[in-house]
Amino acid sequence: MAKRTRSEETKNPTIKARELPKVATGIAGLDDVLHGGFPAGRTTLVSGGPGTGKTIVGMEFLYRSAVNGEPGIFVTFEERAEALRKNTLSLGWDLAPLEKDGKFFLFGAHVDPQAAISGDFNVKGLLAIVEGKAKSMGAKRIVIDAVDVLMRIFDDPVRERNELYALHDWLNDHEMTVVLTVKTSAGGDIMPRYEFLDYMADCVIQLDQRVIEQVLTRRMRVIKYRGSSYIHKEHPFIITDNGVNIIPVSTVELQHKALGPKVSTGHHRLDTMLDGGYRRASCVLLSGTPGTGKTTLANTFVAAACERGEKVLYINFEESGEAMVSGMLSAGIDLRPALRDGKLRLMTAAPEAMGAEEHLFQALRAIEAFQPDHVVLEAMSSCNRMGTKQAAYEYLIRLVNACKEEGLMMILTNQTAGFKNENEITGMDMSSIIDTVIFLRLIDIGGEINRMLMILKSRGQKSSNQYREFLITDKGIDVLDVYVGGGGVLTGAARQEQEAKEVLDARRKRLEIELREHNIKRKRAEMEAEIARRKAELETAEAELKALQLDEGLVQEGRDIRGRMRDEDANSLRLKKRVLPRKERGTRLKEGTK
Amino acid sequence: MNRSERKAKSKGTEAQGETYILRLFMADNESNSRQALENLERLQETHLKMPHKKEIVDVLEDFQMALENNVLVTPCLILASPLPKVTVFGNLSDTEKVLAALRLT
Repeated sequence: MAKRTRSEETKNPTIKARELPKVATGIAGLDDVLHGGFPAGRTTLVSGGPGTGKTIVGMEFLYRSAVNGEPGIFVTFEERAEALRKNTLSLGWDLAPLEKDGKFFLFGAHVDPQAAISGDFNVKGLLAIVEGKAKSMGAKRIVIDAVDVLMRIFDDPVRERNELYALHDWLNDHEMTVVLTVKTSAGGDIMPRYEFLDYMADCVIQLDQRVIEQVLTRRMRVIKYRGSSYIHKEHPFIITDNGVNIIPVSTVELQHKALGPKVSTGHHRLDTMLDGGYRRASCVLLSGTPGTGKTTLANTFVAAACERGEKVLYINFEESGEAMVSGMLSAGIDLRPALRDGKLRLMTAAPEAMGAEEHLFQALRAIEAFQPDHVVLEAMSSCNRMGTKQAAYEYLIRLVNACKEEGLMMILTNQTAGFKNENEITGMDMSSIIDTVIFLRLIDIGGEINRMLMILKSRGQKSSNQYREFLITDKGIDVLDVYVGGGGVLTGAARQEQEAKEVLDARRKRLEIELREHNIKRKRAEMEAEIARRKAELETAEAELKALQLDEGLVQEGRDIRGRMRDEDANSLRLKKRVLPRKERGTRLKEGTK
Repeated sequence: MNRSERKAKSKGTEAQGETYILRLFMADNESNSRQALENLERLQETHLKMPHKKEIVDVLEDFQMALENNVLVTPCLILASPLPKVTVFGNLSDTEKVLAALRLT
């Protein structure tokens, strides 16, 4: 981060660079804020309450100048030179060799508090020393720390003012680039008697430190910069073992990398749902209520990415690294090889441990040092404990932006209470920078809790918009289709039950059909049998009839024969035989046959 | 100032008999410095009856001396001996104050 901002400064010559010569401050981020650096040959005033870092700002400016071969003079009225050397050494800045080489001069200028005062005087002694030293060292840079302490000897605001103007003019005449520090009251306002310093100086920087919800927060702001543009905002800054780090609140347009190629989520079904996987340089949000499997889903990706040889930085505000690794083991995800091979780096901290700026700085430094391909942050919701909601928001926005600028993929997890809109899922309005949202939830059906997963949003790729059942087994995660029949989405035992019921129903139906078919067949068989029987009956009847007829025919024939024979006999006797019944019948029969 | 006076009174007697070393730091010939020199010379005549040494340092010519003596303001009179060391800022126009500071009252 520090290196980056400094190199950026050299890369893009600042807007007003031609109009006003500037001197690089050597302080991470400050050149960005000042659009180049301190005004060369002029006075910069750094004001702030006790402990806000004024001395360190001045010291870092001169130290880095000296290291780069540019000599400087540091005059302190407040601290003893020896104490200051020691403090400086604790930041890793060793002044001794620089002092020996004549690149740095530390002047512990003590005003004897017991000195008697008789008549008028001025600060010519100081000027003589500074001039003498500057000449012998060739120094053009000077820091005058706690100038208010020197001015106290005048014990008169008007004289203080005159002397400061004289000092200022003298320094300007000598074309010294000056950083003047002055204490302000605790409230952050410059003391009324030093207000004129704001007018006198060409560039005024105010440092401030506040405790917001038990977290120390440092801010800096440029009040004015004569003849130059600068970023008109309050910038968070931190003091680390590496010096002052200002994190400029950028006003320039975002320089995000375009979304890159697909990268597997670590599970084939999820890849399918996302049309191939997550995308590089995207920001993925895994959101859900506690216990929905956010960590497991994130680590499914982590394990897969590390196995492919990609590097992952895992920032965890929720649990210790050890706890997470063992927790994942029970879900069948073994992170140990990735840790052993240095593919996975865990960064755990309590959100309350430091301010949001410090957290941001640590994260950015880890990204710069580790050069990961992906960053996981667990969890957005815990960032609120860094202080204010605003601080958490800034932390997240800037971390995500930094990842996007570097082309890293980022997974954020977030714990939510409900889900109605995206803001509720993210907990804050971050929708513009989140590319993919996977929503996890628990549902309670049939006295059983089951996990569900849904892709709410996925920028730049097709995705399934259906709920899936999300299982965490001892062999990792699984994503299953859910029952989407008439009764809505069903999962777990309810789904199984439903599925079993359907199988049974189907079998029952099949059986019924078979039964009916069988019945029909049987009925047809019965019918056919009946037909056959009836046919047989009919045939029998016909046969009987025939037989009868045949019999009858034979009888008749016999009769006919006999009749003919009788007729022939009786023709002569017809009248006589008519009354006889046998004769009658015989006659009728004879008539019927006719 | 009160503290200086008190201190000067309490320790004044010890100074008797030792050589006085007075060092006046001035800045070239600016008016305050000239006045200081004049005032010191007058004091020498009226009050410094004992043997003493007077050193005049022009800080613009010898900043190293100013640095060694931590002289930030001019004019500045330092009583280097006898100890304790005493510093007086200003053009020494207030004779009473100067005498008190130098333990000469």
